[in-house]
Amino acid sequence: MIRVSHLNKSYNHPDMILKDLSFEVKRGEFVYLSGPSGAGKTTLFRLLFADIKPNSGQIVIDGLDLMRARPSRIASLRRRMGIVFQDYKLIPNCTVFDNVALALEIAGTPRKLIQKTVWQVLKVVGVERQLDRLPVQLSGGEQQRVAIARALVNDPQIILADEPTGNLDYEIANEIMHIFNYINSQGATVVMVTHNRALLQRFKRNVCYLDQGALQAYVWPD
Amino acid sequence: MAKIQDHIFPLFKLTGNNIRRHPVINLISISIITISMLLLTLYFLGYSNAARIVSSWRADLRIVVYLDDNIDAERMSALKNYCRELDEVLRFDYVSKDQALKNFKVTLGEDASFLTDLPENPLPASLELFLDSAVADVDDVELLARQLQRQVGVDEVAYGSSWLRQLFSLLKTVKYFGVLFAAFLSAVTIFIVASTIRLSLFARRETIRVLHLVGATRSFIALPYLFEGVFQGAVASFLALGLAYAGFRYFKDWLQLQAPQWPIALQLKFFTALPLLLFLLLGTLLGIAGFLLSSRWIRQD
Repeated sequence: MIRVSHLNKSYNHPDMILKDLSFEVKRGEFVYLSGPSGAGKTTLFRLLFADIKPNSGQIVIDGLDLMRARPSRIASLRRRMGIVFQDYKLIPNCTVFDNVALALEIAGTPRKLIQKTVWQVLKVVGVERQLDRLPVQLSGGEQQRVAIARALVNDPQIILADEPTGNLDYEIANEIMHIFNYINSQGATVVMVTHNRALLQRFKRNVCYLDQGALQAYVWPD
Repeated sequence: MAKIQDHIFPLFKLTGNNIRRHPVINLISISIITISMLLLTLYFLGYSNAARIVSSWRADLRIVVYLDDNIDAERMSALKNYCRELDEVLRFDYVSKDQALKNFKVTLGEDASFLTDLPENPLPASLELFLDSAVADVDDVELLARQLQRQVGVDEVAYGSSWLRQLFSLLKTVKYFGVLFAAFLSAVTIFIVASTIRLSLFARRETIRVLHLVGATRSFIALPYLFEGVFQGAVASFLALGLAYAGFRYFKDWLQLQAPQWPIALQLKFFTALPLLLFLLLGTLLGIAGFLLSSRWIRQD
């Protein structure tokens, strides 16, 4: 599903953020990208949806070589992915409904289906009552759920999530993790960036451990 | 299966959102396009009316050929035939010496009494040539007058077109100036629309980034801005034409009150349907051009 080969990345600096990184994530797998701060997790996360380009190497997702793909193909791939950002990236002037509906509208979903689908996915993440609110009127946990709802609404094959529990308290983080587990159980491939060791212990999954830009270990749970 | 309206509806929704959420930027843009379009509209309204009125004066173009007193019948007949053959001449009237005197008396009215004391009629007979304005250019009148002057039996040729020629030459200059003026105003308008769209893009850069990240294509992001440019141009054109019409009505009524005996106010006309449509189209095109100039700011990430 996701194949990363000999990936190198630096930001106008001789020191490489990512050094000759290679790994593979199979269809339906749930993988944590973990490591200390500055390990290159977020850089790798951004490379996985072609937000930035590597200096060298290859990323192939669902058969599409991200380095060679045209912008329209990248956009098409992103529509088939669900991406959850640490800072949520919700549109501040749009209601919860509009933020989630946007992903469906971009995909050209029939209007009749949009209302029903948005409501269903908001119910899954537990914010269906906040439908008409603006992001600023929601708590951090609620905003994160809305961001997850937007990522899920197109029924994506791949979910990429960057520290989705980073700003949340224990209980809400647990609820969010249950949502990701549920999505994964429905067949979606999940790649989640986290540096939260407690989380890795509570919800044991494969871990791709990065340190100083290199893959240190690929750990399977006991 | 997604229908075409499922793709188009979100674009209109985003356009509506853009306009609602940035009312000040839109208001500034529409105001500036309105002013530019109003200036253009007033300019062309003035020009088209002036050209039409001057053309109507040209339609009255006449050449009066004064004849020798001693012209014989044969020569007279030859001269009439010559005039009949001229393409520029629609028709001509022969005014005898007696008829000329009568006409002169009518013109003088009560002051005509002195004419009865004259020993003989001093007025010459003449041929009054009415020219076809569709054929005769103002420049041709002078040439025609010179040709007629050379005919045997012609004493003098009078024509009043020299001032008309100057007027036409002035109108021609005004027309060329108008093209430059329109080009300049269009360029300024396009630049302003582009700048306001760029401001709008800058204000919404985070939203645009989110759209990119959730898989929107460049056209999905850009089209609402194109529609916004079209909206601004169309609304501004309507406003400009409305204001120009109000101003035109006011000016026409004022002119009629100031100079009721002068028929010029009645000759003034507003644009017909075709120029109105062209102005609306021009305003819309200015909006589109403004968008195209700023669209390179929307990157495909």
